[in-house]
Amino acid sequence: MKAKVGVYICECGPNISERVDIEKISEELLSSGEYDDVELVVKNYGLLCSGDGKTYLEEEITSNAFTHLVIAACSPRDHNTTFINVCKKTDLNPFLYKMVNIREHCAWIIPDKDKATEKAVQYIRGGIKRVLYQSELFEKQLDITPDVLILGGGIAGMEAALALAGEERTVFLVERSSELGGVSAGLNRLLPRQGGEVNKLSSYRGEVENNEHIKLYLDSEIKSVIGFLGNYEVTIGSGDEEEGVELVVGAVIVATGFKLPEINGLPGFDFSEKDEVHSSIEIERMMATDRKLAMRNGEEPKSVALVHCGGRSERGYCSQICCSYMMKIAGYIKDQSTEIEVVEYFRDLCLPYKEDQKFYDEIAARGVEFRRFGKLEVDGASVVSTGMDGAESKQEYDMVIVAPAMLPAEGTEALAGLLEIPLHETGFFEEEHQSTNAIGTTTDGIFIIGAAQGPRGISSSMLFAQASAGRISTQLIPGQKITPEVKVSEILEAYCTGCLTCLEVCSYGAIYFDDDRAISVVNEAVCRGCGNCFGSCPSGALRTKHFTNTQLMKEVAEAVRER
Amino acid sequence: MTEKEQEFSPNIVGFLCNWCTYAAADLAGSTKIEISPAFSVVRVMCSSRVDHNLVLSTFFDGADGILIAGCHPGDCHYGKGNYFTRRRYAQLKKVLETLGLEPERIQLAWISAAEGNRYAEVVNSFTEKIKELGPSPINNNQRL
Repeated sequence: MKAKVGVYICECGPNISERVDIEKISEELLSSGEYDDVELVVKNYGLLCSGDGKTYLEEEITSNAFTHLVIAACSPRDHNTTFINVCKKTDLNPFLYKMVNIREHCAWIIPDKDKATEKAVQYIRGGIKRVLYQSELFEKQLDITPDVLILGGGIAGMEAALALAGEERTVFLVERSSELGGVSAGLNRLLPRQGGEVNKLSSYRGEVENNEHIKLYLDSEIKSVIGFLGNYEVTIGSGDEEEGVELVVGAVIVATGFKLPEINGLPGFDFSEKDEVHSSIEIERMMATDRKLAMRNGEEPKSVALVHCGGRSERGYCSQICCSYMMKIAGYIKDQSTEIEVVEYFRDLCLPYKEDQKFYDEIAARGVEFRRFGKLEVDGASVVSTGMDGAESKQEYDMVIVAPAMLPAEGTEALAGLLEIPLHETGFFEEEHQSTNAIGTTTDGIFIIGAAQGPRGISSSMLFAQASAGRISTQLIPGQKITPEVKVSEILEAYCTGCLTCLEVCSYGAIYFDDDRAISVVNEAVCRGCGNCFGSCPSGALRTKHFTNTQLMKEVAEAVRER
Repeated sequence: MTEKEQEFSPNIVGFLCNWCTYAAADLAGSTKIEISPAFSVVRVMCSSRVDHNLVLSTFFDGADGILIAGCHPGDCHYGKGNYFTRRRYAQLKKVLETLGLEPERIQLAWISAAEGNRYAEVVNSFTEKIKELGPSPINNNQRL
């Protein structure tokens, strides 16, 4: 059958029509005699992306029974999907259509109309040649389970569980310890209002425990996980037990939180157990239970040093929340007695929220002194600090309270290995992109929220939890199927030497090795179609569907043609 | 320079990643910055997809210069594709030398979606460089 190619040039109002000579393009294409083996139809239209334009195009495709379609218009980043959707309404497979950008890459950047016209002809010729070498591809629909596994029963995990659990979605919440709550359990007050919000936090536990759509697994850990978005097979169990519970879930949320180091292990901190040196979380819990700050002998301290940034330089990151909670502790002390001398030592102040500056001013106005240090050591209960000017000072205190850096939770590395997701150089889990996808990972369907992703406080942990719940709600709709990417890589068995290079370079774990056939195989449900495996394959066994070298070389051939 | 060399109009192919540099090219277009018609864009999903074969075939087909451009390191849409691109580029330079092609005929650039101006600068200065280098030995009927 002779191919019948439709070429539709969009005038884009005046945007394209005034800057290239569309009539001349049609003439050149039709009179060149290059397309004798195909039937070529070339037409132009005012605005193809408009409602009328789409209807027109649909009718043209159907009435002409095109085998291939080229649309010369704006950037495919603007309207590729628009025209794919038009193709889907017809018998034309959308992968037998090619969009050519003659606006951004031609009409708008070449002021000379003749040259712009010539360039447009070149791009369209490339498009026609390429489209003839394109192949039909078919979208697949995969069944999904909307259920979700959450690892970690801290505040982030609980918030995500409550946001997701419902009639049509079961949440499996796995907590390593015997209790829900994580580090946020047993806090005294919450910033900024320091009112009754802390009670709301503790009521979460009951809400989670009583929710019939949340299945709790305490003292449990994940043992294995395999699968992809919509279909993860997971085993959970406790301790070293071989046997475990097997679950099928659509997504996994990692909310394993953080840990606080022993402050005595921090560099520059040298004291004994008798010395009045405490970690900030000890004091916060002391205030929650005893309602009073006291030394080991039960007496009230007369002077307190609050040391921020414990281990910050060594860890190489700011823990974000310490400055504000240390000021909160200073407030507790001043509430107890205005007579107590309070000095806050900080390396850098971090005041990220809108209330923070005002809070700082208030605390400073209550007689709390803020001292910036370049270097600081704690020797017994005395603080030796070197200021930014290099001057050293030593001062004895009745009590020293230290805010240590937040560290990745125990077992983070092992969990990353199990889930095949990367870790950041700080040891926390790495998000796909800090700005554009802070809760996603390189694996679709695996999310990292709360302090598992990096130092975070309660507010952003909960925000992350809500964000992940939102994402999952739209990705895994109960009763609906998902459509994975079709422009994926494929491996030709005959050429594959089984060298495993493609497995190593794949960011998504989308390629596995088939031991029986001794070749690598692409898992099409996981592959995102970047083509890195293609670029690395030494034996030419890979193909990137819809972006094959044969197809690209057709565009190249027109680009390098003698003019 | 002889008159013939002055008339030399090169053919340059740019393999641009869909997410960053192709978008930068779109931005340069929307802001209507003038770009040499000697430069032709070929869209790929990721710069890491550009293999040695594609680059060499493009030269053998007659390109005078090739630009490979993608997201800044750390910003790859696919995580770390561009780190692989960087290694392949270093190898390709050597391959070109071996073939008797000037290694300057190939260039790698990191251009984000926001850098429309920079895209135009990179493309236009690369075009100038290729003009100075003259036609590819392959096109000059020189035996490799």
